[in-house]
Amino acid sequence: MKARAGVLCVVLAVFLVPLAWTVLAAFGVVPDNSTRPPSWSGSFSLEHFADVGVAEPTFWEELATSTAAAAAAALITIAVSYPAAYALARSRGTNGLAPVFVVLASLPPMAYVIPLSDLMRRAHLLDTFAGIVLSEAAVTAPFAVYVLHGAVRQLSPEWEEAALLDGAGLWRNLMLVALPLVAPSVVATAIVVFVIDWNLLLVPLVLTSGEIKTVPVAMSDFFTFERELEWPSAAAALVISLVPVAILVALFHRALQRFTLQTPAESSDE
Amino acid sequence: MRLSRRDRVVLCAPLAILLAGWLVGPAVLGLLATFTTYSPFVTATRFVALANYAGVLQDPEFAAAARNIVLFTALAVPLELIAGFAIACALREPMRGRSALRVLLLLPWLISPIGSGVMWHYLLGSTDGIVDFVLGWFGVTVTSPLGDVRLALPVVVAVEVWRVAPFAAFLLLPGLVAIPRERWDDARLSGSSSLQQVVAVAVPAVRPLLLTVTMLLIGLALGSFDVVLILTGGGPGNATLTPALFSYSSAFATNDWPAGAASAWLIAAAVLVIGGLYVRLASERDE
Repeated sequence: MKARAGVLCVVLAVFLVPLAWTVLAAFGVVPDNSTRPPSWSGSFSLEHFADVGVAEPTFWEELATSTAAAAAAALITIAVSYPAAYALARSRGTNGLAPVFVVLASLPPMAYVIPLSDLMRRAHLLDTFAGIVLSEAAVTAPFAVYVLHGAVRQLSPEWEEAALLDGAGLWRNLMLVALPLVAPSVVATAIVVFVIDWNLLLVPLVLTSGEIKTVPVAMSDFFTFERELEWPSAAAALVISLVPVAILVALFHRALQRFTLQTPAESSDE
Repeated sequence: MRLSRRDRVVLCAPLAILLAGWLVGPAVLGLLATFTTYSPFVTATRFVALANYAGVLQDPEFAAAARNIVLFTALAVPLELIAGFAIACALREPMRGRSALRVLLLLPWLISPIGSGVMWHYLLGSTDGIVDFVLGWFGVTVTSPLGDVRLALPVVVAVEVWRVAPFAAFLLLPGLVAIPRERWDDARLSGSSSLQQVVAVAVPAVRPLLLTVTMLLIGLALGSFDVVLILTGGGPGNATLTPALFSYSSAFATNDWPAGAASAWLIAAAVLVIGGLYVRLASERDE
């Protein structure tokens, strides 16, 4: 038990101290590495959060775009993935098919964004909200199908069979019988998908040319064009971009306990 | 519960449209285009068979990128799995505050790869950094290891492990929690050490999950782009150039569209070959 507590303390230090360092810098408390021994300088202030808006005048707009795009993409991902996952879980001989979705989920966006940007240009979806949302939804859909098919498979088909005898059709079974039972998994998947979408860089990067911008694209702009931000302002931008996802994860931490990639093997009683 | 053929088509149609339009379709069209001189910037297109691939494979920059990504993947994925597995094992048994810890440990993954790159760019640097602060107590001054040809790649790996290992732990934990208590007790009673218990009990029980997580991490590593873009931009020299960076800058910076598309397909091919192996291994367990 002692050993385990020790391990956890080291783990927490390694993973959280860099973040604490960043949060301190965002509030103006920075190290002074020129003194020996190093010391701390600066006093607690909120001005660096305001600096972000000065350095990047459209930052708050980009934050809104990012939030709306990730939310819309997560909703579309779940809406198209849940019915397909249900079909996959309730069909025979699909054991070999489910891992294909893992492979699709592993495919790096770089593998297809070059032709995707060309197609979106031809479809006049470049630099549009819809273009970003649909492309992001497609990135995360295979992952969601795999996770949700596992969740539906965990569920005994008895409920749906009983409902079927009562005259329920496919849609009633899908939406009113099965969905409430797998709701925690669906919510957890939606949260994880939202975080992935929120953090995507390459997809919004190649599909936009400045008309519309997400936070990761703006952050890459801070640095690639030789106009490096001061560390406290960069830290403030980082903290701001972390807050929405952190709040979401904290709010839904109970549902996230249900998130698993484990899939029970196909039942043989059908 | 029996679904008719029509039910299945209706249920899968929205997904099929989304993937056909925005993922599989572009990928396949992109593949076809790599056998031609196609580029949105030129009007005439002709068939060139494998010439684009030959050009990319002969490019010394791409060779450096390929070497880097093999090293990167071979280092990062095992480290992420081992660290993730260790964290998950430490969180396995119920204790006060476990669910809070689990959420706290997700924080590094919640930061975007780009954000993590920005953060470590400063933390590793000398004026505001954490490394210099700690070493300063011993009177040592460091320059950022990101500027060192030999250290840059290992440091990029470390930054990526820092971001991904907690997510691996988050994915592995449910598998470890689901192992019946008796199996741990049996192993303990037969006198095996903690490490032996993990190898004998935990690894076989979560094998399918471990396979899936490994597949996802390999895909993530082979596509590395964001974190490298910010930390080093591929440098110094070509020390941290990845195929994804090569592909992106070919297509969008130097306007050599065919080279960009062909090198991007080489990444896809690597993932698909490993994916084929994964599908075989994953289907085996049910037989």
